Amino acid sequence: MNFLRKPFGYEPILKKEDLQRTPSKKKGPRASDWKSTLSRIWKIVDEQRFLLITVFFMVVISSALSLIGPLLIGTIIDQYILKGQFQNMAPIIISLIGVYIFLSLSLFFQNYWMIGIAQSTIYKMRTGLFNHLMKLPVSFFDKRQHGELMSRATNDIETVSATLNTSFIQVFSSLLTLIGTVIVMLYLSPLLTVLTMLIIPLMFTAMRWITNRTGKLFKEQQAAVGALNGMIEETISGQAIIKAFSQEDRVIEDFREKNARLRRTGFWALTYSGYIPKVMNFLNNISFAIVAGIGGILAFNGLLSIGIIVIFTEYARQFTRPLNDLANQINTVLSAIAGAERVFSIMDETKEIDEGKLPEHTKLKGEVEFKDVHFKYEMSEEQETLKGVSFHVKPGQTVALVGETGAGKTTIMQLIARFYDIENGEILFDGKDIRNLKQATIRSQMAFVLQDPFLFEASVYENIRYGKLDATDEEIIDACKKANAHEFISKLPNGYETILASDGSEISHGQKQLLSIARALVANPVILLLDEATSSIDTVTEVKIQQALELLMKGRTSFVIAHRLNTIRHADLVFVMNNGQLVESGTQQELIQLGGFYAKMLEQTDSFRE
Amino acid sequence: MKTVYSYVKPYWLPALIAFILMLIELTVEIVQPLIIAKVIDDGIVVNDFNTIVFWGIVLVVLAIIALICGVTNSYFSSHVAYSFAYDLRNVLFTKIQAFTMATYLKFPTSGLITRLTNDVTQVQNVLFMSLRIMIRAPLASFLSLLMAFLINPKVALFLLVGAPIVIGFLYFMVKKGITYFSQVQWRLDRVNRVLQECLQAIRLVKAYMRNEYESSRFQQVADSLKLDTTKALRIMEIIMPALLLIMNLSLLAVIWFGSNEVSMGNAQVGELVAIINYAMRITGNFTMFAFIIIAFARAKSSAERMKEILIVNEDGLEVATSEREEVKKPPIEKIGTIRFEQVSFTYPASSLQVLSDISFEINPGEKLAIMGETGSGKTTLLNLIPRFYEPTAGRIFVNGRNIIDWNMGELRAMIGFVPQKSLLFTGSINENLKWGKQNALVSEVRLAAEHAQIHETVESFPNKYETRVGQKGVNLSGGQKQRLSIARALISKSRILLFDDSTSALDVKTESALWAALESENATMLVVTQKVRTAKTLDKILLLHEGKVDAYGTHDELLKTSNRYQQIVRSQEEEQVGEEG
Ligand SMILES: Nc1ncnc2c1ncn2[C@@H]1O[C@H](COP(=O)(O)OP(=O)(O)OP(=O)(O)O)[C@@H](O)[C@H]1O
Ligand SMILES: Nc1ncnc2c1ncn2[C@@H]1O[C@H](COP(=O)(O)OP(=O)(O)OP(=O)(O)O)[C@@H](O)[C@H]1O
Ligand SMILES: [Mg+2]
Ligand SMILES: [Mg+2]
Repeated sequence: MNFLRKPFGYEPILKKEDLQRTPSKKKGPRASDWKSTLSRIWKIVDEQRFLLITVFFMVVISSALSLIGPLLIGTIIDQYILKGQFQNMAPIIISLIGVYIFLSLSLFFQNYWMIGIAQSTIYKMRTGLFNHLMKLPVSFFDKRQHGELMSRATNDIETVSATLNTSFIQVFSSLLTLIGTVIVMLYLSPLLTVLTMLIIPLMFTAMRWITNRTGKLFKEQQAAVGALNGMIEETISGQAIIKAFSQEDRVIEDFREKNARLRRTGFWALTYSGYIPKVMNFLNNISFAIVAGIGGILAFNGLLSIGIIVIFTEYARQFTRPLNDLANQINTVLSAIAGAERVFSIMDETKEIDEGKLPEHTKLKGEVEFKDVHFKYEMSEEQETLKGVSFHVKPGQTVALVGETGAGKTTIMQLIARFYDIENGEILFDGKDIRNLKQATIRSQMAFVLQDPFLFEASVYENIRYGKLDATDEEIIDACKKANAHEFISKLPNGYETILASDGSEISHGQKQLLSIARALVANPVILLLDEATSSIDTVTEVKIQQALELLMKGRTSFVIAHRLNTIRHADLVFVMNNGQLVESGTQQELIQLGGFYAKMLEQTDSFRE
Repeated sequence: MKTVYSYVKPYWLPALIAFILMLIELTVEIVQPLIIAKVIDDGIVVNDFNTIVFWGIVLVVLAIIALICGVTNSYFSSHVAYSFAYDLRNVLFTKIQAFTMATYLKFPTSGLITRLTNDVTQVQNVLFMSLRIMIRAPLASFLSLLMAFLINPKVALFLLVGAPIVIGFLYFMVKKGITYFSQVQWRLDRVNRVLQECLQAIRLVKAYMRNEYESSRFQQVADSLKLDTTKALRIMEIIMPALLLIMNLSLLAVIWFGSNEVSMGNAQVGELVAIINYAMRITGNFTMFAFIIIAFARAKSSAERMKEILIVNEDGLEVATSEREEVKKPPIEKIGTIRFEQVSFTYPASSLQVLSDISFEINPGEKLAIMGETGSGKTTLLNLIPRFYEPTAGRIFVNGRNIIDWNMGELRAMIGFVPQKSLLFTGSINENLKWGKQNALVSEVRLAAEHAQIHETVESFPNKYETRVGQKGVNLSGGQKQRLSIARALISKSRILLFDDSTSALDVKTESALWAALESENATMLVVTQKVRTAKTLDKILLLHEGKVDAYGTHDELLKTSNRYQQIVRSQEEEQVGEEG
């Protein structure tokens, strides 16, 4: 008994509480969960209604043909073979050939079209998921592992795919066969039919018992796959660090743990779902015994002819086979639901708020104003990152943001780009509240060079073109020259056509930054945000880029973060941030004379130089 | 395929048990109709109530046996399937962990992820099915065929007219299937890849308003995946109707030629009817047959893909212990020395020499600044010391011993490494810091954090050292990440520290405090930096230019001799002018 409870040392996953159905309250929403998930999938499938109907007809035809085939064979046996008349068989054989050809054709086409429907559905789900992901706010991604999200677009959707490919047709044809046989059975003997049906409630109870478990287990399993995927993605992406710290063993240990969780959930899910055909078989056998037994007694009393019993048992068999198939399909469907639910749960996340009423093509002048802005990150709980920041930047001004690390400089830039929404206060562009502007209005007139440069697995051209999709090759080369990237690009194996490795892992960090700057240069923005854009670039090169940047900043509102003070020496205004507050602002001269934070920072630079 | 399926071996016993249980179940199933015939013939027909009851009980008992066997089989086969998958994943992952950095360049991350999840699942499913249902269809067909032959070989032979075609056809289809399905898996890799990139670059996507652009990029890969999957499945879907047609036509051949035989007196009518019945039973199994073949083709292509990882040999793996371990290892000279002897390096996939003929030596406790323009090879030089890559020429000595003679783990444990891109992992701050030393005490963690100037910041977080860090450290500022990754390197108290431009995001005040604290570490340091003011305080400066040593010496020496160094100094001196002007 213990073996059944903890076979091979697999701890049970489902606890008693999980399974106890606190009546109606808990069950209600869950049942409707299934339903809503299914109906959402159905809605997508249904978009191809015409094909679906065609498939349905094909199923009807193939079901009919697969009935006619044996019937004709029966006729051959009865009418010709048993009677020893072998001469006139040709016509019926020829019609059988026709039947078989059409049977195979209808089978082929129903599958052919169904695969088309299924894969289109999958495609729609996948792209729908992706499109939605791209519209989610940045804060959503802060707390998720990439690999875990990726698992939804691959492993979870695959479960749906596997189900759609086969289940639909199976369920259809099973239902058809079921209806057909029930009709014949009723015709043969209503009483025995009712007897046969006696097992149906039993079947339902058994199915309930099993699906109650598998439903949960499949979900657990998909979650475990997701966690594993997340871990794999993160470790492989961070492999260099793992190697540097010789953490392979620990990572492997960690992997084994997650893998073991998957094994445990998978084991139980598979075990329970493996019960279905067995239990169904058993119930069939029992019903068989009942029919045979009671039928025998009835025949004994002369209420039934023996012939009918014989034929009936045959049909009872036929009746249970589609039932079995249906029961098996329930499992596949359940696993698809588990996968689909995880996909839909992402698609139910609220999108980035973009309720701006002003037309998308509103041209910005570049005036930026913060009015007592308070902000805290979702992940940082109570702590406010910005504690009442106010400033006003006129169009075309260049602002340097300085301050200790963690003071909130990057945060200000992210708020200007509206990566996050503020709690209190106002952010105004040209006097208009940021919330009244469309995301597209702001972002399309802005270029942001992020603190962490990123490059796509694409050619240099395409990577730079990211800043302006219709940029010509000349524009790109020009931008690269200005950003001082031209020289190293020319040395790449295929120059500008070279496909860069994902995340630019095959070029140096400084080179990545140069390309990011070039990307911003082609964008031709109204507002320019440079977050430590040149931090890894050597100072000699930086001086060269500086001219290009200054040219770029002319006439644009620019925010620049830099720790190297020469990077910001041409700034019109300096904002000094400290601990989430704007402590000083003014021109460099003013601040030096003020003798506050900024003056002290300069002093430190000097004293350190001695 | 051997390499992948050999991982089933340890589970041969439960697999065998599962198989036997399945056979018992199958036997019961086959016997059942016979018993029912008995109930009808000996019981109902002759009105023998006792016989009905007796065989009825037998029937029920058999049903229970079948149930027990079936249910137990469920345990055994899922145990085998999941344990196999578990082992396979572990083996693959362990193997991947041993890849050299050069090998990683050959396998895109997304491809590795798909192999470890989706591909393993494909194979695991086939295994599970084999243990439960797959054998059933072939076995049942075989038995039916056997029965047909026992009844009348001559007539039964007509059942096999299609066999050569079937075999040839199946062989062809399976081959096709394997290529098509590996194409599908490859497409899945691509989908994974684009998704991964977009997740990594989500801020960039948003900043440039490129969600639609990315969506169309994703649509492209998803569409290719759709097309290829559809194509693969559709082609494989031909199998079932085709087999059915061949079998059905064979059946007609049996009827046609069989009745000839009957009319010639070579066979009896009853025999023909029985053979027809068996033939129809065989066709009943064909859906399953086709299913098996498709699943196998799919699993085979996945297995091939996994094999690509499994067959990576020593050339692509890091050797934990040097081959020369048996031979006496050269003695360690001085702890904390690093010596480069004419080291040159070219990245595996490129032809450009990144480092050429680098030689220098640093003594214990010495601090070397490495400077040079963007792309001059600074990072590459540092990466050679912990053997991320092997130099193409020349030798590197750490503590007086050639690094290829060191045990890899030992070598890396001696080095505290702060990479240029500070990368943290999902987990708490504490966990991240402990990467440097797993069993570090609270005080050690704290000390390292203090030296790295991050302790106070961490203390100001609501959860202090238990603060959750998001993937890659997203919820921390640039400077916080950098200092945490410095602390992670300091915690192990290594005698050799490598800093790759690790203070770029730090403000001057924090940075000077950091260097002051590092004085007490008394370690040999290699510091990549752009800042003259940092370089000046270190013992020597190595100036790289396009992978060659441009100048080597102290600040004052370089100031006198090196044009390039003077240029750098001037570029930073302007700073002063700018500030004052
Ligand atoms: N996505 C986030 N979720 C939660 N907290 C965050 C997030 N990003 C930043 N923080 C926290 O907000 C504070 C300010 O971070 P910010 O990135 O604005 O600093 P910064 O001034 O740019 O510093 P640095 O110069 O080091 O880049 C830090 O304490 C940081 O830990
Ligand atoms: N994995 C790689 N494969 C091929 N080439 C590479 C790879 N990594 C770097 N390179 C090339 O090698 C050269 C040196 O790169 P490295 O990263 O060592 O430069 P760096 O001096 O550290 O520059 P930075 O100051 O920008 O960090 C560059 O031209 C770069 O493009
Ligand atoms: Mg920052
Ligand atoms: Mg570098």
